[in-house]
Amino acid sequence: MRRLGTYAASAYLIAAYVFIFLPVLVLVLFSFQDGLLPVPPFKGPSLRWYAEVFANRRLMDALGNSVVVALVSSLIATVLGFLAAYGLARRRGRFAGLVQYALVAPLTVSYLIIGLGLLVTFNLFGMPKSLLAVGIGHVVINLPLTFAILYSQLGDHQARVERAARDLGAGDLATVALITVPMMWTGLLAAFCLTATFSWDEFIIAFLLSRFEVTLPVSIWGMLRSGLDPALNAAGTLVFAISFVLVIGVELGLMRAARKRR
Amino acid sequence: MTAPLVSLRGVSKRYGATLAVRPLDLDIGGGEFVVLLGPSGSGKTTLLSIVGGFTEPSTGDVAIDGADVTRLPPGRRPTATVFQDYALFPHMNVAGNVGFGLAMHGVRGAERRRRVADALALVGLADFGKRGVHQLSGGQQQRVALARAIAVEPKVLLLDEPLGALDLALRRQMQDELTHIQKRLGTTFVHVTHDQEEAMSIADTIVVLNHGRIEDMGPARRVYLRPASLFTATFMGDSNLLEGRVERAAGGTRVATALGPLALAAEAETGAPLTVALRPEQLALAPPVGNALALGPARVIETTFQGTHLRLRAAAGTNGATTLLLRLPASAEVHPGDEIAVYADPADAVLLPATGE
Repeated sequence: MRRLGTYAASAYLIAAYVFIFLPVLVLVLFSFQDGLLPVPPFKGPSLRWYAEVFANRRLMDALGNSVVVALVSSLIATVLGFLAAYGLARRRGRFAGLVQYALVAPLTVSYLIIGLGLLVTFNLFGMPKSLLAVGIGHVVINLPLTFAILYSQLGDHQARVERAARDLGAGDLATVALITVPMMWTGLLAAFCLTATFSWDEFIIAFLLSRFEVTLPVSIWGMLRSGLDPALNAAGTLVFAISFVLVIGVELGLMRAARKRR
Repeated sequence: MTAPLVSLRGVSKRYGATLAVRPLDLDIGGGEFVVLLGPSGSGKTTLLSIVGGFTEPSTGDVAIDGADVTRLPPGRRPTATVFQDYALFPHMNVAGNVGFGLAMHGVRGAERRRRVADALALVGLADFGKRGVHQLSGGQQQRVALARAIAVEPKVLLLDEPLGALDLALRRQMQDELTHIQKRLGTTFVHVTHDQEEAMSIADTIVVLNHGRIEDMGPARRVYLRPASLFTATFMGDSNLLEGRVERAAGGTRVATALGPLALAAEAETGAPLTVALRPEQLALAPPVGNALALGPARVIETTFQGTHLRLRAAAGTNGATTLLLRLPASAEVHPGDEIAVYADPADAVLLPATGE
């Protein structure tokens, strides 16, 4: 009876993982298709579609744009999120609770609404659609995340260690640079990697706010309109692979941070 | 007397409706080992925090070495603190921790290395500079915290219950080391604890705090043997308290108590209600040589063998209504139910106001 239960649980687990990962596995598998269509039967491995993707100027430009947007917007979101979290954690002003809520509130708004809002706002100020606009959009959606992650790491223990540093003569700047940031670099890395992942495969805001220079997801969407093609699978696999590496970075960072706190 | 090193004038601290520290004056001399002793909530930690600059007093001024430091942040005061949880820098090795304050004060290169090595040698961790702080035991982390504070050569070293997290044997050992280090450096130490045994073993001066006010202040011996208040008499170890009224003051005080009239040497006003305090070890089964204070017959209720001595409770007075606590030599052959006669030396008895408030 007990063994039966174990089998049932295992079967359920495998079914759940198949449900989650099968689409990705199919996408990856048919990126190696030696044929013109990414549909069964699988005709043996080939790297021709990867060669085609890497030879495609438009796709490669878009990939470069995505990398720049992801790195720069995540860096800005992480720095701003850290400063906001540090300020709120260390100087509880009268409206700290309100400010905290206002910072996290955008998490509840859909990307479509944020994208439309930014589009209208940028129009109002005469700012054209551009990569810069996309980057700003990504800072807007990612700032609440970096704030929430980093605020949770600025606990009492961290505050007491900072107090000891001040007691030994460290000023504000020295305390942040020599104590706070080094103590929570794993959390900062995790926040950076996570937001980079979100920026990397974000579509709606990038689609609404870009025109001539586009990011990789927007470019792939453009290709989709001309029908199925194993090159799309190859491009999608690249997107997935890079996200995967970033998520591993997040996991490692958060795991180390958790171990340190214990 | 020379000018005090630390001087608090009219210092108080209010948190909302509670007065954590009532307005008080406190002078601490240079080179003294002072212990702030009190139960939790007595204001001892708040007082230390006010000296260190982490808490701003609601009223009053703090001066250190003649300079007003009331508005100065901790880093600009000639103080350094050993924190209760050590608050070591986890991302630095031992030498990095100890050298941090020196680096912040602009001490560089060989000079810094020398002073780090000196501080580590002083706390007995000479070869530990390269270790990470996570690799150290609790006692070793405590020493690093001490070395880190000593390295900046403060005029006043503040210790916030630094031994609280250590086990008993290690705590006793660190108490000895703290007094040795203090004597060698000659630095003023202000140490907070709720452990009266710890306070007596390390302090030159004990400041007893209760409800945010100073109950008593003086050398450990005096505070223990001649407590200035009822609170001190009970907080600093056990006391037998006998309430009474002064019957005759001229030619030696006579106090009427539940154990009969007691003739005492101390001065008092006729008719005043007061409490006679006697330590358990000041009671004996035989009258002392010279003057003796007979506390009458008593019946032993309970005995507890404690190795170095025998602790016993006995019922004395009419109907045995008064319970006496005695501390006899371990060799004493006394058992529950025994009838005993209890004596004391009138010189040991301390007369205290009837109520603490």
